[in-house]
Amino acid sequence: MQLLIQSIVTGILLGGLYAIIGVGMSIIFGIMGLTNIAHGNLMILSSFLIMVFSTQFVDSIIIALLITMVCMVILGFLFQKFLVNAVIDKGDEPALLVTFGLSIIIQNVLDLIFGADARSIASDFAQVNVVSTKYFSISGAYLANFIVAILVIAALTLIIRGTYLGRAIRSASDNTKAAELMGVNTKLYYAITMAIAMLTACIAGLLVGNTFVFYPYSGTQYLIIAFGVVVIGGMGSIVGTMLGGLILGLGQLLGAYFFGTGAQILSGYIIMLVLLTIRPAGLLSNAKRK
Amino acid sequence: MNRTEIKEARKTSPVIKPVIFAVIVLALISMPLWGSRYSLSVAVLVLLYLSLAQMWNLLSGYTGLTSLGQQAFIGIGGYAIAVTTQAYKMPLVAGFIVAGVVAVVFALVISAPIFKMSGVYFTIGTWIIAEALYIFFVNWKFVNYGIGYPITAAYRIRPEVMYWISLVVGLGSIVIVVLVLRSRLGLGLMAIRDNAASAEVRGVRLYRSKLIIFLIAAIWVAITGCLLFMNQAYIIPSSAFSIDWTIAMVFMVIIGGSGTIEGPVIGAIVYIILRQYLYNFPGISNIILGVIAIIIILIAPKGIMGFINKRFNLDIFSIRRKPKRK
Repeated sequence: MQLLIQSIVTGILLGGLYAIIGVGMSIIFGIMGLTNIAHGNLMILSSFLIMVFSTQFVDSIIIALLITMVCMVILGFLFQKFLVNAVIDKGDEPALLVTFGLSIIIQNVLDLIFGADARSIASDFAQVNVVSTKYFSISGAYLANFIVAILVIAALTLIIRGTYLGRAIRSASDNTKAAELMGVNTKLYYAITMAIAMLTACIAGLLVGNTFVFYPYSGTQYLIIAFGVVVIGGMGSIVGTMLGGLILGLGQLLGAYFFGTGAQILSGYIIMLVLLTIRPAGLLSNAKRK
Repeated sequence: MNRTEIKEARKTSPVIKPVIFAVIVLALISMPLWGSRYSLSVAVLVLLYLSLAQMWNLLSGYTGLTSLGQQAFIGIGGYAIAVTTQAYKMPLVAGFIVAGVVAVVFALVISAPIFKMSGVYFTIGTWIIAEALYIFFVNWKFVNYGIGYPITAAYRIRPEVMYWISLVVGLGSIVIVVLVLRSRLGLGLMAIRDNAASAEVRGVRLYRSKLIIFLIAAIWVAITGCLLFMNQAYIIPSSAFSIDWTIAMVFMVIIGGSGTIEGPVIGAIVYIILRQYLYNFPGISNIILGVIAIIIILIAPKGIMGFINKRFNLDIFSIRRKPKRK
């Protein structure tokens, strides 16, 4: 019973982490219809950058995160402006394959520089149990993941719904031609969207690096998680991302509880497939609402 | 090219084409007589990767089923040959048959859920299935968990025989694609790819056509998987179900030219030669492949063959109907 409660609590908290991994991918898909295969690798790239900055150059992890954010935003903006925007009008496949090429490049460059060793971002509070009751305990890292995830998703929702930037981005995605006629530079807003997605990837990179160890090739594993979160919730729905994260996190932990730890990842995949079969466009899909 | 020239080309090509094909095929069949041991081993790789590329192109380039999960069938093929010849001491032929049968059954089972998904969801769904299969094999006692199997039967066949089998598989993949595309099924497929809804209204049986292509690709990729792992002589889940297989397929088809039959041929040759050459630069070989892929997509989105087609109007394998030009 104790273990079951612990599994549920951990599953929910893990779901928050999964949601923030997936949210960047979800807005990229929702706004420009691009499946960014490099998303997991970009996130792991920011984990490595944060690790390097926080151990070599500055003392504070937060400052390291800010420096990494600047780097990643510039990288994301340039990547979108010069590579993806050049092919995005030519159908789905070329753009998908550009991101595919980028993902191969990132993971091999990381492997070349850092080697295949396991890395982590050390922090003071990660392993400390901040909540400890008779039935369950919560570690600092997991609680931080969940709170940050909720804050980031709420902030994104506000930006997309409430600001001029958000309206411009949404108009570029709803009707590209009309937006351009109204004077919205859609390609520019695509690049800004990519930059925003990079911000979430940086935050996710910090949280993942603080919670688990990571390798140069971990990107693929997190890409599948991001995919799972996004397809369960519905591509392009930010709130759906949170839901998708919770379902996936809970599913994995309950799968591990009932069928042994070997089944943790497998049960996550099976839940994704079952949900995709029942609702082929996700639970809260944008496409459905239109 | 003006009208008379086209007529001229049509008049001469029926004589010249078969002769050239016959010469090439004869040269390939007799390669063990004149080729070195090394060139033979490279040729085996080219032929096997050609088969993978051809099948991925049939799925993605002609049918619009962009799958990132074809490694599932490579793994099934590899494990079929490993388990039948190693654990049950059966002959190699049994391994090929088991590979084909298991691949068909598996493809049929997963076809029901994944054909409900379309577009990106299909792409992701197939990948998740392959990953799930990987985890399943790591936890499955019957296939020796993550430790895997050696494939000692591979040592018993001579390099020439291995080459000839690969030749059949490689050239067979081209024949299959040409035959499929020239049939009614192929015509329907291209209609589906260009506009699924209107094709269905016109009487193309969408589900059935997709399923047949999916099954053909499943069998052929599984058999290719048998040979690929006989070549490596050892199989473990992480290599059997690696996404790297699909990366290679995508790379070959893209640089060669998606939606053409010649494209995967060029792609397979370029890919294997490039890979052999890049062995000298272990750390950066994949980085170079990634950069090349991006550059080619940016300057020639239809690949090398698309570029040649547009420039010289050259078409080696006629399938009567050309893919839609954007």
